[in-house]
Amino acid sequence: MNDLILKNIVKFITPCIQLFGIYIILYGHISPGGGFSGGTIIASSLILQHITFGRSSVHTIFRKDRALKLIGFSLILYSLMKGYSFLSSQFHFPHPPTGVPGSLLSGGFILPLNILIGIIVSCTIYIIFTLFANE
Amino acid sequence: MKLITSLPLIEILILFISAFLMPFVRKNKNIKIVSVTALTFSFILSVVIVINVLQNGAFYFNTGYIDTILGIQLYIGPVESLLNSLFLFVIILVACFSFFTIDSEIRENRIKLFYIMVNLLSASILGVIFTNDIFNGYVFIEVAALTSCGIVVVKETQDNIKAALKYLIMSTIGSGLILMGIAFIYSFTGHLNIDLIHQAILEDYTQYQKALLITIALFTSGLGVKSAMFPLHTWLPDAHSTAPTASSALLSAIVLKPFAFFLIKIMYRMIGFDLVNQFNIITIILTLGCCGMLFGSLAAIFQKNIKRLIAYSSIAQMGYIFFGIGLGSPFGAAIAVYHMIGHAVTKSALFMCSGLMIEKTGYKTIDNYKGLGHEMPITFALFTLGAFSMIGIPIFPGFISKWYLSIECIHLNQLLLIFVVLASSLLNAVYYFPIIINGFFGIENLKNKEYHSKKVETQKLLPIAALILAMVLLGAFSKNILDFISPELH
Amino acid sequence: MALFHNYYDSASIVLFGIGLATLMLNKNLIKKIIGMNIMDTSVFLFLVSKGYIAGRNAPIITDRYEGVTAYVNPIPSALILTGIVVAVSVTAFLLALTIKLYETYGTVDLEEILKVKGDDHEVNNQSSLD
Repeated sequence: MNDLILKNIVKFITPCIQLFGIYIILYGHISPGGGFSGGTIIASSLILQHITFGRSSVHTIFRKDRALKLIGFSLILYSLMKGYSFLSSQFHFPHPPTGVPGSLLSGGFILPLNILIGIIVSCTIYIIFTLFANE
Repeated sequence: MKLITSLPLIEILILFISAFLMPFVRKNKNIKIVSVTALTFSFILSVVIVINVLQNGAFYFNTGYIDTILGIQLYIGPVESLLNSLFLFVIILVACFSFFTIDSEIRENRIKLFYIMVNLLSASILGVIFTNDIFNGYVFIEVAALTSCGIVVVKETQDNIKAALKYLIMSTIGSGLILMGIAFIYSFTGHLNIDLIHQAILEDYTQYQKALLITIALFTSGLGVKSAMFPLHTWLPDAHSTAPTASSALLSAIVLKPFAFFLIKIMYRMIGFDLVNQFNIITIILTLGCCGMLFGSLAAIFQKNIKRLIAYSSIAQMGYIFFGIGLGSPFGAAIAVYHMIGHAVTKSALFMCSGLMIEKTGYKTIDNYKGLGHEMPITFALFTLGAFSMIGIPIFPGFISKWYLSIECIHLNQLLLIFVVLASSLLNAVYYFPIIINGFFGIENLKNKEYHSKKVETQKLLPIAALILAMVLLGAFSKNILDFISPELH
Repeated sequence: MALFHNYYDSASIVLFGIGLATLMLNKNLIKKIIGMNIMDTSVFLFLVSKGYIAGRNAPIITDRYEGVTAYVNPIPSALILTGIVVAVSVTAFLLALTIKLYETYGTVDLEEILKVKGDDHEVNNQSSLD
């Protein structure tokens, strides 16, 4: 892809897409959206980079083995956190404060879980894309 | 007490977390250790659950807050606890067996993937068994479908990928039908919890009889695809015969059963015995079970490949389970559960024996196994014992489930069905006995065969021997097991 | 008449039929996968329409809470989100398998693939697949 207009627009638009994805992940618990939708948006920005600038532009910061480890790490954290929230009320373990409804830091475990889902989904969707993109 | 009721969830969590830990482990040897350690931990917990259920009876576990009904609920009764611990027992032994055989069957960089899949698969199977929430059940069924397809495709041969694709497409249709069934039942009951749905149905099912009929039909066909009910079994022989030996053992012994058990849950706990018997679908299940018993055995007679033969035998054995469900009586369902346990133990042993035979002789066709009983006597003896259970020689679990099925037929005044059971047993004998007889006897066959010449390592034989021992014990204590599980289904 | 009153249900059943027919009748594997996706979508439409109540809002509290009667049922939507995630992963798996098949057989036509008689012997175990 050696189109000047495309390259310049992608350069400009990629951070915007990523910022939008991060916004959707962070505000997932008080507005429509969440980890999965935000994660796919971030993954779409990575895919856009990959298509326009080639594999190497993404792979310098985002190697496949590293991404797999990130997914594994996030999944472990996710299952530990979710398991804790499932089990803790049985034993009356402490819970994170729920905060004021409507503010960013509210909803207990939902915000960190959304962030973890966002990481997992964005990495997974991008890896699925690389499986099909042969160069 | 609270700790014990949360053990089922902890069991599932251990398996999931161990699977996610594996990407960080470098050496293949350590991955095997991680996998089997997690499985063993879960097995110990499952034994604790069985003891607790024996002492205190069935219990519920609510995720999240204790008194909510909106969260996911797990129900652990005698059947669930027993299935859970026995399935884990089989999975551990198959995993131990795979330690020594998987290296030669799949590529080195796929071994990690294989064990991740095995742990995820066992976790999702436990989820299907425990769950009391149909949508949660659907999610676990999907995870099980993906991972079981994964352990088929790790071998990456041409046939293998083809079979896996077939399997995945079929099981996706099945999941679609299950989800449609969930949508139907949610639309007129407004619940996803099995107990609450049961109450809602009892209150006003007369208004929704057709919708209820459609729901049962959707669940039956959807779960029927996944557990190889007779006309929907076409994926099974390919998938089970092309997979690596350990995968075949897992698939045939374990993966088919939770779906059939989920069907029992749907039929008898969600809708209820009395209501289910009003619909004709129960008769259809019975008929399809009979067809499966006869067709699976008939097709197995013409198979040359030993793995395909055992796979077709699995279809016949699933026929027995659907036969038990289709009888429409609590005891029939109890026998179906007993047959699941017995078949899980036996079929895994048979598959592992056949794997050893293929490995040692280098051939997959049964014509090359003449006189093999002389060359590898222990393996062949274990195979013979397993085959005896399939045929229905007394003491073994196969015989006991056939016996009780026949007695239940007499109770229900359906004498014709006894002949189906008998015919199926005879057909079983037709394809298992030639292998055994040609293996052990016949001067022609034993010519030029040296006794014990194909020596099999002890560590490969130990898991099979343990399974066969468990099989004999299951047969010997069948009365206690049936007493343990049948009051639950009344 | 009931067909027109429950047009969501009718539409989803029609879609289900289209999807199933595509899945069953087409020989092309990619088209089969598309059919499977249509089938899944019809189920999602069916289930999500069960939560919709005419004249009510999405269950998002913007300014103030307006009572239970102001919002639609959010549970089917939440279930469908899970369903969509599952469908995405299944589709990805199916496509990956299709690519592998294409690499070995050189075609995505299922009939031709089935024509190639795979033997029972070990087929090129050390293939160049990655």
